[in-house]
Amino acid sequence: MIGRGQVKFRDIVKMHGEFAALKGVNFDIEPGEFFALLGPSGSGKSTTLRILAGLDAPTAGHVFIDDKDVTSTDARDRDIAMVFQSYALYPHMTVAENIAFPLEMARLPKASIGPAVQDAARKVKIEHLLDRKPGQLSGGQQQRCALARAIVRKARLFLLDEPLSNLDAKLRLETRAELKKLQRSLGVTAVYVTHDQEEAMTLADRMAVFMAGEIQQVGTPAEVFTQPNSIDIAGFIGNPPMNLVPAHYTNGDIIVAGRRLKTAADLAGEREVIAGLRPSALRISPDGLNARVDLVEDLGDTAVLDLNCSGTTMRMRVGDHDVPREGDTICVTARPQDIHLFDPTTRKRL
Amino acid sequence: MGASAIASAETGSHGASADFGHALAQRERRFAAALLAPAFLALLATTTFPLIFLVWTSTFRMNLAMPFMNGFVGFENYRVLLTDERFWSSLLISLVYTGATVALQVAIGLALALLVMDMKRGQGWFRLVAILPVVLSPAVVGMIWRTFMLAPDFGIVDFLAINAGLGSQNWLGDPTLAMVSVIAIHTWQWTPFAFMVLLASLASLPEDIYEAARLDRATAWQRFRRITLPLLRPAIVMVVIMRTMVALTAFAAIFTVTAGGPGTATEILNLYAYRKSFTELSIGYGAALAVALLFVTIIISGVLFVLRRAK
Repeated sequence: MIGRGQVKFRDIVKMHGEFAALKGVNFDIEPGEFFALLGPSGSGKSTTLRILAGLDAPTAGHVFIDDKDVTSTDARDRDIAMVFQSYALYPHMTVAENIAFPLEMARLPKASIGPAVQDAARKVKIEHLLDRKPGQLSGGQQQRCALARAIVRKARLFLLDEPLSNLDAKLRLETRAELKKLQRSLGVTAVYVTHDQEEAMTLADRMAVFMAGEIQQVGTPAEVFTQPNSIDIAGFIGNPPMNLVPAHYTNGDIIVAGRRLKTAADLAGEREVIAGLRPSALRISPDGLNARVDLVEDLGDTAVLDLNCSGTTMRMRVGDHDVPREGDTICVTARPQDIHLFDPTTRKRL
Repeated sequence: MGASAIASAETGSHGASADFGHALAQRERRFAAALLAPAFLALLATTTFPLIFLVWTSTFRMNLAMPFMNGFVGFENYRVLLTDERFWSSLLISLVYTGATVALQVAIGLALALLVMDMKRGQGWFRLVAILPVVLSPAVVGMIWRTFMLAPDFGIVDFLAINAGLGSQNWLGDPTLAMVSVIAIHTWQWTPFAFMVLLASLASLPEDIYEAARLDRATAWQRFRRITLPLLRPAIVMVVIMRTMVALTAFAAIFTVTAGGPGTATEILNLYAYRKSFTELSIGYGAALAVALLFVTIIISGVLFVLRRAK
């Protein structure tokens, strides 16, 4: 399986009439990687997946799979398996027939289809449901059936289009972990579309963050989280999102709300910047910004505070001990390496 | 306020509320019966009564040409019917006519529906044009075909046949061609019905399963055989049932085009019953033929309904 399922996107453009759904998308996926396409709705991530699957054709650009240009190859001939958001099970077939369908289409001998179906069903724990029709299954069971149909054929690419979005919260967490284990054990290249950053962060080896038809950043979840390369990414990744406050920069320090904070930046001169501070990076310290606690959201093990720093609203995450009370005034600061600086006009990282 | 008053009344005395409910239900039932009555009576007068009268008539010898021979004969008409060669041949013609027209309607209707589904533009126009034959009266359709389409030398069909090198044909004079012609006319008029039903059913099929099938490497033919056909099965069965019942009792178009001729080449059972009753004025025997047709229709539709439930 190693060495199969390498993907390259080169300058992919997709127009819907006048509207550009994708404005020149480039990325590479390595064999065996779990790659997430993350972005808000309408950002082009599903379009990207459909172009990769061959269900839609790009307006311009080229798609390569294993170094072969497949841009004009039909979905049938790309050797790709996909789990749809709606599961797309064949309603008139039983679970077993659904799982067997790709094998029958590949003209496998009947004798080997049965065991392969059993095997795939066992991997996703639905071997007791093989005689049911999709209409008789719960959402979670349907999702597993769709998974089994996708893994039964050893395709070189495994695409997942928001597969967990129709499950309830508890099931989603369970399935998420199983999905990761399944992908590891199969060793296939997986491309995963989601709007849920938590899913992308926990599942993906690497991810591409989409915004308005463009990829803003590609990297490991840790890279994207710790080094967001634009204001938009910084505001999108992390829950609660990063605090973005206007500040004045002078020789390594920034001045926010009248207070000077040290940063790790080594830019020369003075300029206006946007300072990014993760809620979890803020800490209480005697020499910092004065802030009034407007609201405390207690999450059990942590709490999120809404702070008012002389007119600027910031959010801060604190541990369950020493939670200030609403109305208190506290002093907050951040370590120099936790302060991100962005250009207010280009919106890029400085 | 009202609801709480009723609730307290109910808890107050159980018996009283039960009586009240009973009275209410009775009043509702009476109202429903009053609403139903006009339609029910009309149906009774226009369908049930004539049907019973038909069965009753079929047990009489009633010949308007020889009224002095009239009288109750019991099952005599049916005994004659079973040995009547013309009855068996007209029954066979009815079955051929029905089988051929229904099969053609479903096949052509499905093909058109699949074609129109893939049309990017002009779907609305196509539907509008396609539905036109259905709204015409079958008698009008028959007249149009007899004069405009099938007339020797002048008719469009004959004109095309001449140009195709087949020469002018006697479309309604040759027994085989006449049968082909009446089947074509019925198919032409009623295929749009099958087309509309199947198109609606096709349009309701989810698109994503076709995408899934493409990724599962199904060819276009396999997608049609393994997905479209099984999912359309209920609609197809319904079309077959409805069209079969209509085709078995077809009358007006054939009557105006060939009137059963030449000879008895296109004389379906319905037409034979009509000819017996109103041309030969043998009302009793004609009634027996009509009852036989009713019987055949019931048996065939019964079989179809059983098939429908089978899978």
